[in-house]
Amino acid sequence: MNTSVGYLKRDDTREMVEASLLDEVSDSHLSMWEASWSPAMQSFCAGRPLADRPQDHHWDWRRKAEGLLPLLGYHSFALLCQNELQGLMLINDLKSARLASQFGKPLAYVEFLATAPWNRPEMHQRPRYRGVGTVMVGAVVELSFELGYSGRVGLHALPAAEHFYRDTCKMTELGKDAAHQNLMYFEMTENQAEAFRQRP
Amino acid sequence: MSDEKRTMTLNLTPREMAVLEELAAAKDLSKTGVMKLALRLLQAVDAKVRLGQKFLFEDEKTKEKSELIMV
Repeated sequence: MNTSVGYLKRDDTREMVEASLLDEVSDSHLSMWEASWSPAMQSFCAGRPLADRPQDHHWDWRRKAEGLLPLLGYHSFALLCQNELQGLMLINDLKSARLASQFGKPLAYVEFLATAPWNRPEMHQRPRYRGVGTVMVGAVVELSFELGYSGRVGLHALPAAEHFYRDTCKMTELGKDAAHQNLMYFEMTENQAEAFRQRP
Repeated sequence: MSDEKRTMTLNLTPREMAVLEELAAAKDLSKTGVMKLALRLLQAVDAKVRLGQKFLFEDEKTKEKSELIMV
């Protein structure tokens, strides 16, 4: 397991703090998810109608990790800050691109990406950290380059995250995918990946 | 990902090499990249087949399905 450094912004002080990005979700990360993340999510959802719950409220990270991580084509990342889990991501490297300019070429596909409940503005008036999604997208871009995929990335976005991939990550929007719960599909090209790497 | 690497030699027939080179060009990968992708893909398909699932292709226009038999 390799660790690299990422930076998150503390919402209260606006200062940048160091976070550890691990390129493998371990059993201890899943235990952290069960001990703090999952209860926080359940507590927020209790008594709320389905429409008001976060769109990933039902994601069971242990089940996802145990089923997919033994496969070479799947990669996982955990982001930790102040000894707390701040984000999780699962990637599949077996899919191919749909965008005409890179059609049929392999890409790193983000199966699941989530930030911890305490970092979400829609769940907390004062989220703890901002920037988890940006660190994670940076990680999948680097993975894509490592795999020889030239930075190509694809993902289906939950509606609440569409603006992030469109406006912050500058990915190309390819329309809603009827075969994938009608979620918006985005792709990142080599040029977009290079631009993402060089953003301040 | 672990940094530890092991080396192997792969002997291919000219026809196999031609296919490998063609795939490498089409997929924008190195020849090693194609072989590694093939390994990951075969493992993923094999895992599904072991669970009793079928490997199907569907024609987007006609919706006709064909099954690929895995050995």
